[in-house]
Amino acid sequence: MNPLINMLSHASRIGVIARHAFTQLVRMKVFYFLAFFAVILIGSNFFDLPQHEGPESAGINILRSIKSWSLGAMTLFSVVLSIVATALLLPKDVEDRTLYTILAKPVPRIDYLAGKLIGVLLLVFVSLALMDVLMTGILHLRTEMVLADQMAVAEARNWPAQDVALLKSDILAQGPTASLQGAVFSVFLRATIIASMAMLISTFSSSTLFTTIISFLIYFVGHFQADARAAYFTHEAGTGDGFWLRGVALLISLVLPDFQLFNVIDAVIEGQVLPLLILGKLTLIGLFYFVFYVIASWLVFARKEF
Amino acid sequence: MTEATPAVEIRHLVKDFKTSFKRQPLRAVDDVSIRIMPGEVYGLIGPNGSGKSTTMKALLGLVAPTSGECSIFGKDSLKVDSRNEVGFLPENPYFYKHLSGEETLKFYGKLCGIKGAKLRDRVKELLELVDLEGASHRRIGGYSKGMLQRIGLAQALIQEPQLVILDEPTAGVDPVGSREIRDLIFKLRERGITVFLCSHLLEQVQEVCDHVGIIFRGKMVKEGRLEDLIAIEDQTELVMKDASPELVAEIEALIAKDGTAEHVRTGKPRTTLERLFLRETRSREETN
Repeated sequence: MNPLINMLSHASRIGVIARHAFTQLVRMKVFYFLAFFAVILIGSNFFDLPQHEGPESAGINILRSIKSWSLGAMTLFSVVLSIVATALLLPKDVEDRTLYTILAKPVPRIDYLAGKLIGVLLLVFVSLALMDVLMTGILHLRTEMVLADQMAVAEARNWPAQDVALLKSDILAQGPTASLQGAVFSVFLRATIIASMAMLISTFSSSTLFTTIISFLIYFVGHFQADARAAYFTHEAGTGDGFWLRGVALLISLVLPDFQLFNVIDAVIEGQVLPLLILGKLTLIGLFYFVFYVIASWLVFARKEF
Repeated sequence: MTEATPAVEIRHLVKDFKTSFKRQPLRAVDDVSIRIMPGEVYGLIGPNGSGKSTTMKALLGLVAPTSGECSIFGKDSLKVDSRNEVGFLPENPYFYKHLSGEETLKFYGKLCGIKGAKLRDRVKELLELVDLEGASHRRIGGYSKGMLQRIGLAQALIQEPQLVILDEPTAGVDPVGSREIRDLIFKLRERGITVFLCSHLLEQVQEVCDHVGIIFRGKMVKEGRLEDLIAIEDQTELVMKDASPELVAEIEALIAKDGTAEHVRTGKPRTTLERLFLRETRSREETN
């Protein structure tokens, strides 16, 4: 077959399976969590922590609170969705024997895996996009309110124009910035890595529960990847404990992504700028682990018997 | 004249499964060979756990043979392109409950690369064939067992395959549903589609199949044309109409003199497939 036609036919099948996985998850009513998100978002408006700064900072804490709660909820929902949805789809198809009917059609196993994973990622992406729209909308309104209050205070006190401009820029930096959108995209990239990892685990696991627990554990361990890498480079090679420690550290460093890299989101909550270079680096890391885990999943799944 | 390529060719198939507790692997299929020519309806029968489903799965590439080869229309069944010409209905299938019957068929059709008007026409045609036009927009989750089997058969036929593999197509289906599926198999045979099925319902196998294989404990114990297998050469069959039970008891003595009984046909009696199956499996059970 012509390589181009072959590639298009792979892409078409992957698209069909991805659309189907997305529909399947949507019809499981997963979008109900958006109502919880809305409640969290509205609640975050009332978390006006006691502040020790001057009156010029009044309201800024609320903007930070909205971002912090929203991005925290996005992280939670995206991680849970990525792991649970991925862990659910494969074993369910095997249990219901629907996998037999799919693999009995001219469907390569890599297409099936990639389709399922892309379907889950599509769901996570749409969910994050909807949450982002809600967050950006509320944050925009609240920023406008804080800005109006502060400008009124500055005018009443006859602040110099230079100081007013500085205050305005400080407040706007806490609002819906491009860096905030970059932070949401980083949440998506992290979910991509986690979903791909859950996919790999579900190819050899025998139950949804096992995949879910192991995936959460690996997600947790992934936050210590940087420490493992440091342990590998600082410990002396040799025998005994040092040897094993280095071995485990090497394994963790190679197989798991460094989830601490995604802590840039915290800086964005504080109103700092997310440099494009960092975002590019995170994108490449996300893409690398997506491809790495999909290939590893395929190697396991291609030999699997049903 | 060159011989046609067999629709199914299984050569010396052996399949061992690793077991968790025993060191010795479990041999599910032991040196099974099957050859099905295009247009034939082949029935593979055997008790539970005899290796029927494993043989079918090996043919579909769902399990890899330990040794031996399987091919579909000359193509290695481990290769994806061999599945272009195959439709498969597994035992007790459950399709995606969130999809309607029509959506299910469209999903499988798209997987086979069928699109647009061609797909719509094909889905309509198949829904008519399996008599599910009225339930095409209902969610699969609300389908009865018989309806599930019929939509399963429709999905197996979506890409117009030349070979259909049916694993226990009437399992758990009531007699009416079972007859409907039997009628569908007849329709497939009329269309020249090769059918490879395994079933516990021996009477149905006898009705629809022209070739039969009996598999027992992983080994093929009897195989051939159904007509040849069930014919008993050293007996004579006496077929009567309106004969009372008393008359049957004395029939041989009376039949020449008694003109009230109508002699319909005299020929070679045949055992039923069920009797043959039980004889073949029981005798082997006793010897083991």
